[in-house]
Amino acid sequence: MDRLQVLCFAGTYALALASDLARVVVRAPLRWYATLTLTAIGFAVHTAFLLHRLVVGNALQAPTVFESFLLVAWLVAATTLYLSVRASRKTAVGIFLLPIVLGLAGAAAFAPRASWADWGGWAAFWGTVHGLFLLVGAAASAVAFAAGLMYLLQARRLKLKQPIRFGFVLPSLEQSERLNRGGVAVAFPTLTIGLVIGVILGWAMRANDRATISWTDPKVLSGLAMWLVFAVLAHAQFRWAMRGRRVMILSIIAFGFLIFALVGVDLLLPTAHGVPGHEDPARAATSRLTSPDDLSDTIEFTSKTLTLPSPLRSLPIPDLGMMSPFPSANPRPSPAFPTKPGRSAS
Amino acid sequence: MRFLALGVDHRSAPASVREALAFDGEKRERGLRHLVSEFPGLEAVVLSTCNRVELHLAADDLDGVPHRDEVARFLSRFHQCPLEFFVGHLRDYPDEQAVRHLFRVAASLESLVLGEGQILGQVKEAYQAAIHARTVGPILHSVFQNALRVGKKVREVTGLDQGKVSVASVAVDLARDVFDSFADKTVLVIGAGKMAELTLTHLAALKPGRVVIVNRNPERARLMAERFQGNPRPFDQLFNALVEADLVVSTTASDQPIVGLELFTRVQQARRNRLVLILDLAIPRDFDSSIGELDQVLLYNVDDLNGQAELNRRARRQGIEMAQAIIESETLACLNALRHQRAAGELQRMLGARFDEIRQRELERLFAARPDLSEADRQAIAHMTHRLQNQFLHQPRAALRSAVAETPHGDQPHPILTAVRHLFGLGPHRETVKPVG
Repeated sequence: MDRLQVLCFAGTYALALASDLARVVVRAPLRWYATLTLTAIGFAVHTAFLLHRLVVGNALQAPTVFESFLLVAWLVAATTLYLSVRASRKTAVGIFLLPIVLGLAGAAAFAPRASWADWGGWAAFWGTVHGLFLLVGAAASAVAFAAGLMYLLQARRLKLKQPIRFGFVLPSLEQSERLNRGGVAVAFPTLTIGLVIGVILGWAMRANDRATISWTDPKVLSGLAMWLVFAVLAHAQFRWAMRGRRVMILSIIAFGFLIFALVGVDLLLPTAHGVPGHEDPARAATSRLTSPDDLSDTIEFTSKTLTLPSPLRSLPIPDLGMMSPFPSANPRPSPAFPTKPGRSAS
Repeated sequence: MRFLALGVDHRSAPASVREALAFDGEKRERGLRHLVSEFPGLEAVVLSTCNRVELHLAADDLDGVPHRDEVARFLSRFHQCPLEFFVGHLRDYPDEQAVRHLFRVAASLESLVLGEGQILGQVKEAYQAAIHARTVGPILHSVFQNALRVGKKVREVTGLDQGKVSVASVAVDLARDVFDSFADKTVLVIGAGKMAELTLTHLAALKPGRVVIVNRNPERARLMAERFQGNPRPFDQLFNALVEADLVVSTTASDQPIVGLELFTRVQQARRNRLVLILDLAIPRDFDSSIGELDQVLLYNVDDLNGQAELNRRARRQGIEMAQAIIESETLACLNALRHQRAAGELQRMLGARFDEIRQRELERLFAARPDLSEADRQAIAHMTHRLQNQFLHQPRAALRSAVAETPHGDQPHPILTAVRHLFGLGPHRETVKPVG
C-alpha cells in the first residue's frame, strides 16, 4: 500500500521533471507554472505521507530505511521548490535536483520496512538523533552535489564560449557556488555530529555489554573515509587556491563517498552494520546468503527480545543499523540467533 | 467589413520622411479625431514609432474605409507636408493583408532588430491612445487584442526574443551568467572611448556597486566617471584596480597587450582567486589570451562577443518560419471570428426585425377587428405581445451568442447560425467580409 502512495508523489515529481525537460520544445511561461505546480503537489503529498507515518506509524521511535530515504528525498524536494521559486523562471533547477528526489523515492520503494530501532531508553533516543543528523547531512550533501554539477556545466559552457542550448539556462556561477557552499556548510557539521554520536553510541553499547560492530567493519571504515573527504571539502572552501572548479569536483566526489558509505557498502561489502546481532563481517556475509524466505522472519525478529546464548544476556535485539540511517538493505538473522517463536522470549 | 493599413517604415522611407509623418505626443490624438471626423464610421489606430508611422483603419461597411489616396491627402493636410514628399514611400495593406501586417509588426517580424521587445509595448500604447480618443470600435478592438496576444505567443513559441544581438547586450547577459548580484561588485573600465561608454551604459542597468575608470588621459577618465558616478584612477594604479574588480571592460587603443599572463596571475593571487569576468573589447587585444586559461577567470574578446551575437541572430532567424506559420493561422482565425461575429450580429438584428414586423401586423389586424378596445387595453395587449416575443426569442438569441463565443472552424458559418436562418426564414446569408482561408 505504501509503495502505491510513494508512487503517487514520485509520479508527480516525475511529471514535474518531464515538464522541466519540456523546455527543449515548450518556451511558454505556462511550462514553468506547470513544473512548479507539479513539484508543489508532489511535495504536499510527500509531506502528508511523512506526517502520517510520523503520527500513525510511530516513525520517530521506530524509523526504517524506507522512511529515512523518504525524509532525505523530502528535504531535497523542499530545496528544489525553494530554488525554483527564487531563481529566474528560465533557470533549470529541477533538472538537477528532481532526479535525486526520484532516485531516493525509488530506493525507498524497495527498501526494507522493518524498524531497526526498537531499543527503548537512551539508546533509542540517541540512535534517532544519530540518524536524523546523518539524514540532514545527506540531504545537504545532495544539494551541494547538484550545485557543483550546475557550476561545472555552466563554467564549462562559459569557458568554451558556447551558447545556451535547448533552453537549458543554468544558474549563475555565483549562485551555484553559494548554494554549494551552503550545502557543504550544513552537510559537514551534521555528518560529523551524526558520526560522532554513532561512535559514542557504539562505545556506550560495548560498555553496557550490548552487541555492536567491529571498528574495522567496512561500514565504519567507509564512514570514516567519507568524513575525511568532507573534511577536505570543508577545508577547501577556505582555501582560495581551490576555489571554483576544484571545490565543485570535490563536492561531487564527497557525495559519491556518502552514497557509498550509506548504501553502497550494504549492497557490495560484507558488513555487520545493520545486521542484528553480528560482530563479525564474515558471519554477516554468511547471513546474507540465507534464503530469501527468511525475510519475513526478519521483521518479526527485529521487534522481539531474544534469549541469547551465554555469555550474552537476555537483551532487546538492536538492529545495528541505528549506527546509520541506512542499515543493510537485506538484513538476515544469524543462524546463531534463531528467530523461531519458540526460541525467542518477549 | 474592410481594413486598410497604410504608412511608412524603416525599409520604405528615410528618417526624414518618417519624421515628417510622425504623430508625436498630442498630435496622435488630434490626428485620430480629425481622421474619424473626416471619414465618419471609420475606426482608426495610429502606430507611430521611430521606425514606422502607420494608420490602421477599419469600417463595418464595404465602402467605409477611404481609398489609399484619400488617406495620403489627409496625411498631407494634417502634417502640412507636400504629398509628393512622402507618397512614393507609402505602403498599403488592404483587408486581410492589413490584419496580417499588424500581427507581423506586433511579433517584431517587421522590426529593424528581429525579436526586439519594444514594438509590442508600442502597439499596445497606440491601441490605448485610440481607445482614449474613442476611435476604436468592435472591429479594431478585436484585431488589436489579437495582435497583442499573437505578438506574445510568437515570442514564447519561437524564442525570437531569446539571446541578445548586440555586443554590449551580449556582455550584459554574460555578466548575468557569471554573477548573481551586482550591488557588491566592482566594474573596472580600462579606457574611456566610445566603446567603453556604450558598454558601461548597458552594464549600468545591472546597478553595480562600484564603477572604476582607468585611463591614460586622467581628464577623460574623470569626465566619464562623472557621467557614470564612478571613481577615476590613474593608469599606474591599474594593478590595484584589477585586484578590486569583479568585472573588467577593456577598450584601450594600445597596440600591445597591457596585461600579460604573469601580471594577471599575480592579480589573481592578490584577489584570492575570486571569480572575474574580463571583456576585452579592444583591437588589438589588451589582455593576453592565455589569461583565459586561468581557473576562475573568464576572458571574452570582441570576436567572442560578436560570435555570440551572430549565433543569437541565427537562432532568431530560425524561428521566422514558425512565426510566419503562427501569424498565418492566427490571421485566418481572427478574420473568421470577426466574420462570424458580424454574421451573428446581423442575424440578431434580422430576427428582432422579423418578429417585430409579425407582431405589429397582428396587432393592427386585432385592433382593426376590435375597435371597441380602449387605449389602455390596446397598450396592455401590445405590452403582452412584446413580452411574448422576447420570451420566444430568448433561447434563439442565447444560442446565437454562444455560437459567436465558439472558435469558428474555417469560413463556413456556424451550424447554429444556419439553423436560425432557416428556422425563422431570414433569407440567404449576406457576406459582410471577404472569406479567407
